[in-house]
Amino acid sequence: MEFDLKTIEALAPDQASLSAASKLTKRSNWPRLEKNEQQALIWGECQGSGSNPYRVVVDTGDHGYKCTCPSRKFPCKHTLALMWIAATAPASFAAAESTPEWVNDWLGRRRRTTPPPAQSTPGAAAKSIDEATRTDESAAVEDLAAVERREAAQRKRAEDTRQAVSAALDELDQWIADQLRLGLSGFVAASSDRCRRIAARLVDMKATALAGRIDEIPSRLMALRSEERPDAAIRELGKLVLLAKAWRSAPDDPELKRLISTSETREQVLANPDARQVESFWEVLGEKIESRRDGLVSHSTWLLDLKSTTPQFAVLLDYFPASAGRRSNAFAPGDRFDARLVFYPSRKPLRALVAERMGEVMSGAWPDFTFDAAKDPLATHASHQDAAPWTTDCPLMLPAGAVLVDDRGTGWWQAADDPQGIALPIAGAVNQTLLGLDLTATAALWDGARLDLLAAQSGFGRLDLS
Amino acid sequence: MNEGEQTGLATMRDCWITGGATFDLAPTAWKTIAGGASPDEQERRLLAIAAQALDVALRPAAPKTLKRRPLLPKLALPMLPERLRPLLRAALKHAIDARRKTRVVTLVASRGFVLHPMDWMPAASDQNSPDVYAPWIDWQASVDGERRAPQERLTAENWDEFYPAARRIVLADMRHSEPASARMLIEAKASGEPAEVRLALVELMRFGLGAEDAPFLKSLSADRSGKVRELADRLLARLGEYGRSNDGGPDDPAAELAAFISEGKSGFIRRRNIYTPAKLKSPAQEPRRAELFEICNLGDLAARFDTTESEFLGAWQFGADNNADILIARMVAASGSDAAVTHMADALVADGGKPALFALHLTPRLDGRRKRTLVRLILKQANYLGAINLAEGLDAGWVAWDDLSNGSALSALRSAVAGNDEAMRRGADDILETIGFLATATTAVKLIDEVVAAGMPPAAPSLGLLRLNAALAEHQPRTDT
Repeated sequence: MEFDLKTIEALAPDQASLSAASKLTKRSNWPRLEKNEQQALIWGECQGSGSNPYRVVVDTGDHGYKCTCPSRKFPCKHTLALMWIAATAPASFAAAESTPEWVNDWLGRRRRTTPPPAQSTPGAAAKSIDEATRTDESAAVEDLAAVERREAAQRKRAEDTRQAVSAALDELDQWIADQLRLGLSGFVAASSDRCRRIAARLVDMKATALAGRIDEIPSRLMALRSEERPDAAIRELGKLVLLAKAWRSAPDDPELKRLISTSETREQVLANPDARQVESFWEVLGEKIESRRDGLVSHSTWLLDLKSTTPQFAVLLDYFPASAGRRSNAFAPGDRFDARLVFYPSRKPLRALVAERMGEVMSGAWPDFTFDAAKDPLATHASHQDAAPWTTDCPLMLPAGAVLVDDRGTGWWQAADDPQGIALPIAGAVNQTLLGLDLTATAALWDGARLDLLAAQSGFGRLDLS
Repeated sequence: MNEGEQTGLATMRDCWITGGATFDLAPTAWKTIAGGASPDEQERRLLAIAAQALDVALRPAAPKTLKRRPLLPKLALPMLPERLRPLLRAALKHAIDARRKTRVVTLVASRGFVLHPMDWMPAASDQNSPDVYAPWIDWQASVDGERRAPQERLTAENWDEFYPAARRIVLADMRHSEPASARMLIEAKASGEPAEVRLALVELMRFGLGAEDAPFLKSLSADRSGKVRELADRLLARLGEYGRSNDGGPDDPAAELAAFISEGKSGFIRRRNIYTPAKLKSPAQEPRRAELFEICNLGDLAARFDTTESEFLGAWQFGADNNADILIARMVAASGSDAAVTHMADALVADGGKPALFALHLTPRLDGRRKRTLVRLILKQANYLGAINLAEGLDAGWVAWDDLSNGSALSALRSAVAGNDEAMRRGADDILETIGFLATATTAVKLIDEVVAAGMPPAAPSLGLLRLNAALAEHQPRTDT
């Protein structure tokens, strides 16, 4: 058994999981606990609320694990509890010469990797097995030595996470090379399975955010016409290469850490003196609500800075479990308010938090923005790509234009004063009424292939398009 | 990106699609960046460069066949103020069918505003929206954007330059102002149109229908379409011209229908005829009777009993057979003369009670004054409040607070809202929506207060139209009557 409590602490996704796991460590919860030392495996069956117990297996060599429970937390409380029993009461496990069929199935499906010795997350400071087991009475005043120990543990966990993520990116690199070798036509056809597998590995190895991004690649590809998908696959995979390289050169960069592993907490962003703060009037351009494959719903609210002379955007990003149902929205498209936003530090800050909201603002037209002198509607996108080439969606403010349709019914935005110039295809079905409106300015997201319209100003006033 | 790089990228792309190493195919400058690494790393570096090239250097190529539609015309009324649009969208969302949505649109138009085109747009076939939307219906009809409805007057010469919907709107307008000109146009051009369009054109004859239209309608007895012939017959019947195609024999539908009606006498001193629906002998007779009421004309039926339309209706025993009462009311609406329609409506309303509700089927033929009288009667009695939803073609925004509070409608609504009967509550929701359309702004405000005090959540969707109605008054207080 190679578990110690620190390892389990580092693996736990949050303090609540540790607390829940501590309650499952009673022997009576586990009708079956077995081990096979030759294969470095422990497994058990934990009686939950259902008629069948959850089956849990852990590889003590590389800390890989599998549990049949439906939890969205990885590792789940059952896995943590099994590890916990292995660390504190190894005698509870009966030696087994052979492994059960379900353990064999799991072994057959998983890929072994260089075992990360221990893993942790930057936010792990808030959780510890001590905390999970500590009663209120045992809360002691921290002394300097304890603070030092905790900071040392944090450093250790950060280092462990870095190593785990580094190993994850090695796997990602190899996976990308495999896709190129096997052919992108096959990748496009089987992107769902292939992305799911590597994403699961990346979650195991603490590259959670990156895993979420890869999980969304299939749906991004499927949203395009079949002839466009290979190019989109090149763009998606190429950006992953760039992101991995950028992280290796600056693993402590907050933007890159956010895109690869985990995001800062709200408190950390608000307390960050380097975080850009903008107090202005903001208009809610629109919302994008997407169900992700990892069971979460991402809710983006796009804002426009009404005091800026050039188009400046912000996005408020929220995630919640799909099982929680649709949440009521804090803002409706078209709302205007006076607020101080704090932006997550990055090369082109977009994601923000509302730090302080001062009140409502009267509705009206957008400011007369200055547009790119070269009349390139994608100039902002190019600028974003120069600064952060791994980014995908870029908000744009398009000058006066109109929406046209091609023979297949796809909508295209085209500048009003440049009918022979560049036209940008629009994602999704276009409302036929939009074809009869003059657009004096249009806010949209560009993902390299399609415009996702948010809102526009027209001769008929504001248009909600999200 | 230069030409060599573009060619190189295209070759590399093809190679990656099928699978394999592309280093040898890459442009020289890219090889320099990617070189000096393992083969896998070389491919990844080239992939990164290619991704950026595709993202930044290459721009989408628009097809040459992009089509642009003509600009949506501005309408004659101002757009609904921005801050009222959320209320409007809520009311539209709660209006479950096209008829109810049209009521929302009509209410807004009655207060002097039109809707934002992204909130609502009439269909090309829309025949019920306020006239102010005619340019948008035309715009919807000009699907390919090449032909546009000309601004000049519709004539036989420019007939084909108008789309069917545009023609319909213009002709309907002409039937109101100069019915003879419109009839001559329809007469001259309808025969060249398909049956569906022909039917829609002849249907316009109901506007301003007069005796001078009879010769044209008679000429339609030879029309190829059975539906057109039936419609022409009904219109003629409204003019008192009936009995042309009936031979009075056993196969005559009017004779068959008459067999479903018993003739009797009533009164001790002054004996008078009465007509009662005969008891049906089998359930199968029910649909046949309904079919006969639909295809026969009131005049033909009355003639079978040697009486006039008005006398026949006056002697009809309402209340004996609910279904038969509804069928005869629909028959009167479809083929009765104007005199018969008003006679029946006035008699039913004067009698009050449940039979008055049959007058609801006549509302498409009733003038505004009679419709209002009918609605006020329903509000006063409140026993059949839900029937108010059956009334068609009502004007918006005239039900005053007295109309509601003097009868039992208000207390019925309050009880339904406060009670636990789910069906009653749903019924109250529908009525509130209808009253939201009919009420003056003042009435709307007071009614919201009343039902909220009775226990309805203030944000209930069924109050949507009432809230919009009340809010519209803030901009147009003088429209409140």
